Parts: sequence; structure tokens; C-alpha cells
Amino acid sequence: MIDFINVSKVYKSTGTHALNNFSVRIDKGEFVFVLGPSGAGKSTFIKLLLREEKPSSGEIYVNGQNLVKMRRRKVPYYRRTLGVVFQDFRLIPTMNVYDNVAFALRVTNVASREIRDRVPYILGLVGLSGKAKSLPEQLSGGEQQRVALARALVNNPPLIIADEPTGNIDPELSFEIVDLLTEINKCGTTIVMVTHAHQLVNEFDHRVISIDEGTVVSDDANGRFFIE
Amino acid sequence: MRGSSFGYLIKEGARSLYANRLMSFASIGTLVACMLLIGASMLFSMNVNEIVGYVEQINEMVAYVEDGVDEAGLEEIEASLELIDNIDMSRSIYVDKETALQEQKELLGDNASLLEGLEGDENPLPNSFRLKLRDLSQTASTEMQVDAIEGIESVRAPSEVAEILTSIRHAVSAGGMFIVALLIAVSLVIIANTIKVTVFNRRKEISIMKYVGATDTFIRLPFFVEGFLLGLISAMVAFGLLWVGYDSLLRLVAQNPSAWIQQASQSLLPFQEMALRLFIWFAAGGIGVGVFGSMFFVNKYLKV
Repeated sequence: MIDFINVSKVYKSTGTHALNNFSVRIDKGEFVFVLGPSGAGKSTFIKLLLREEKPSSGEIYVNGQNLVKMRRRKVPYYRRTLGVVFQDFRLIPTMNVYDNVAFALRVTNVASREIRDRVPYILGLVGLSGKAKSLPEQLSGGEQQRVALARALVNNPPLIIADEPTGNIDPELSFEIVDLLTEINKCGTTIVMVTHAHQLVNEFDHRVISIDEGTVVSDDANGRFFIE
Repeated sequence: MRGSSFGYLIKEGARSLYANRLMSFASIGTLVACMLLIGASMLFSMNVNEIVGYVEQINEMVAYVEDGVDEAGLEEIEASLELIDNIDMSRSIYVDKETALQEQKELLGDNASLLEGLEGDENPLPNSFRLKLRDLSQTASTEMQVDAIEGIESVRAPSEVAEILTSIRHAVSAGGMFIVALLIAVSLVIIANTIKVTVFNRRKEISIMKYVGATDTFIRLPFFVEGFLLGLISAMVAFGLLWVGYDSLLRLVAQNPSAWIQQASQSLLPFQEMALRLFIWFAAGGIGVGVFGSMFFVNKYLKV
């Protein structure tokens, strides 16, 4: 599903070596936590996955596609096969919950009929059927993140990338979010969740990849995270 | 494109027009002002052309024939006149001295008796050619050519009128072009600024669009729609204002007691005659400037 082969990334403007000879392989259907202190290269890992950046060297394959050689005009179509969730939710404040979720379909040329079928179903899945008409500001942080998750899911992507999805919400609600992701994972969707919430990682039996200074320092199926 | 996306694009374009209404208002205002000036100078130059054309129509050069030139001599003169390109012989006429005298009598009306006794050999008026010119600006040189023909005693030409008319025509079109170019540049900058504000206001939305896989073209389209609407609305407002303004100006002119202006107003063009052409120009210009302004700067500010 995801294959990073000897990937290095140097930001020319600052000279930062964000990733050094980074190799990782994630299979279809896995749930993976990616852990590391700030500056470890987590954000770069996400950016490379989303094809926001290209690596300085090395190969990246996602879903069988070579991200390094991918043409610019193909990138939008590649991103349609991903669901992305961010720490800051990134909801559009002027749109209600329904429209925020439908937005992902409207801007990718999906038929209205399908939107009308799909959006309520997904909102039900994340437990927000009753809040379809609410604006993001009227929701709690946990609810907003569930809207963002619904938006990521609505395209039915085989891979979900979550960048610190619990960073801005209470611990008990964080648990709920990861629980939800785990449920989604059980249906076969691959999940990559970047986090620094160590507590949370220990609550679940998922693979944990720890990175520091741009390389993998430990990779543990059924992982536990111990504070060093 | 699917209905849902199309609806989204149109709605977004219109929504951002409203969301940035102050800037939209400024852009529309500037565009309208530009179009009004452009339209006014277009109307003005069309009318000047019309009037110049009218004056050209009635203007003529008179070549007087020397006394004692016989029938054969007249034919030779006519042949020489035919050779001058600027003279439109089909509209020119020969007036012999009897006809000229008759015309004078008619002009005098009741006082025609004053000219009695001048018929026949006593007639002091010369034979003449009344020549119509194709291009008034060439009057002076044509006058010299005609004067050089043997058997022509003198030439009377309205060279001053011709000069004034042609210089008005040139000034109007040159000045018009300059103003139009300047205004188009100003409108482009203003529209671009409006779009820049929109891009800034919507940067969050744009980044989300990128993450969910909207294509670059799709991201640009609402800005295209916005530019299009800005142009179209401006064109319609400017067209309406110009119509009202021009019509009331015409009415004002028609009511002027001065006989000369009264007569001139006869040859002014009614708005309806130019309306369609003007509207097409406005719409094409406005939409062109709007779309170009928005596309150019969206590409510049949006790293999509």
C-alpha cells in the first residue's frame, strides 16, 4: 500500500534534513501510528504522502503509483484516493456540516444524486446525523473532528491519513476518534495516524512506527510506546 | 461537468462577489466609469464622423471657367477633371451661366427683378463646375490641380472647413484611443485586486479543495466566474447609464433654440442605431477585462 524506499528530504531554503534514508512499508488494511517528537520528520512524511512535496532522493509508492514520477496534473486524481484529517480540522466556517462533507464530492465532479445518498450515510457513520444543519463553530472540537473525518471518508478512500487528529481535542474525546478510526480500519481501510499522544497509542493494539531525526528508530507491530 | 459541480461554481462566483461587496463595488464602479468614458468617446467620434460626412456631402469646390471657352474647350476641361482622383465626377455637375443666373434669381425670391436685364450676353456670371470631393483632407492639393487646368479662371474651395473637420476627426480618434488604453489598464489592476482579496479570503477553502483532489482548473473556475460577472454587470450598468445620458443629451440639443444646432442635431445618430454594437463592445470588453484580470492574477497568487 505504502512504500518508502531510502527517502531523503532536504529543504533547500533552510537546509534542514527532514528525512534521512527513511524506509517504511505499510500494507493494505493496516492501522499504523507514526510517533515522534516535533522536528522528527512527521510532517514531512505526511507532505510526501499527500504529494505536497517531492523527496530529494528515494522512491515513494502509494497504491501502486510512483509519487516521484507522478505528473502534476495527475495529483488531484491521486488525492481523491486518499482521505485526510488534520489537527486543526480545516472545516469551512461558512458552510454547515452537511455542506462541508458534500464539498469534497462537489469539487470532484460527483453527481448530485450520489451526494444526496452518500453524505447522510457517512454522517450517520460518525454519529452526526442530528447535526447536519449546524455550523462548525456550534460544535465541540470532537464533533468538528468527526465532521472532518466524515469528509475524509465520503470518497470511500482505501487509505486515510490523519495528521495529529487528536491534537486539539480532550483526551476522552480523542479516544472516541481513534475508536472510530479503528472501526473504519476493520472494514479494510488502511489508516496512517501521526501523533504524539503516547497515552492514546498504548490504549490500542496497533503497529507503532517511531521516528526521530528523519529515520525510523523503532517499528513494533502491536506496539507499545515507552517514554525513553 | 456534473450539475452539482456546475451549481457549486456559479454559486461560489456569485457568493464571493457578495462577500467582497466593497471590492466588487469598487471594481464595478471603475469598470463602469471606464466604459462610460469609452462609450462617450465612441458616441462622440461616431457623431463627429456622421457630421463630418454630412458636411462633406454638401461641401463642394467650384471651378469657374474663363469667358470665351467654347464647347470643345469645356469638354477638354471635363476630361482633365476626370483625371483627378479626388474628384467624384458622378456627383459633380456643370452649371452654365444661364442656370447660375436662374439660381441667383430664385435665391432673391421677391427681389428677383433686380437681376432683370442681365440675361443673355449681359450675364456677368461665369460658367462653372461644381465638384464633389472624395476626401476633404486633400482639398488644398486638389484645388491646385484644378487651378492648373487650362481654361479654369479660378477655384473656390472650402479648405478651412476641410482642415478643421479633418483635424477634429483625427484628434477625436487619437484622444479616444489614448483614454481607452489608459482606462483598460486601470480596470485590469482594480479587477486583479478584487480577485486577489477573494483568493486571500478563500485560501482555506482552496487548500481543502486541493487536499480532497479538486483539479487546478476547477479551483480557478469560481474566480473566472467572478471576473465574468464583474465584467457583465459593469457592461450592463454602463450601457444603461449611457443610454439614459445620451437620450437626454439629444433631447436637450433638439430643444436648443439656435437654428444651427437644430440643424446639426438632425444628423446626430439616435441611440438605438448604435445600441447593439455598443452593447456587444461593452460586454466583450468588460467580460474580457474581468476574465483576463482574474485569470492572470489567480495564476500568479494561487500556487495550485
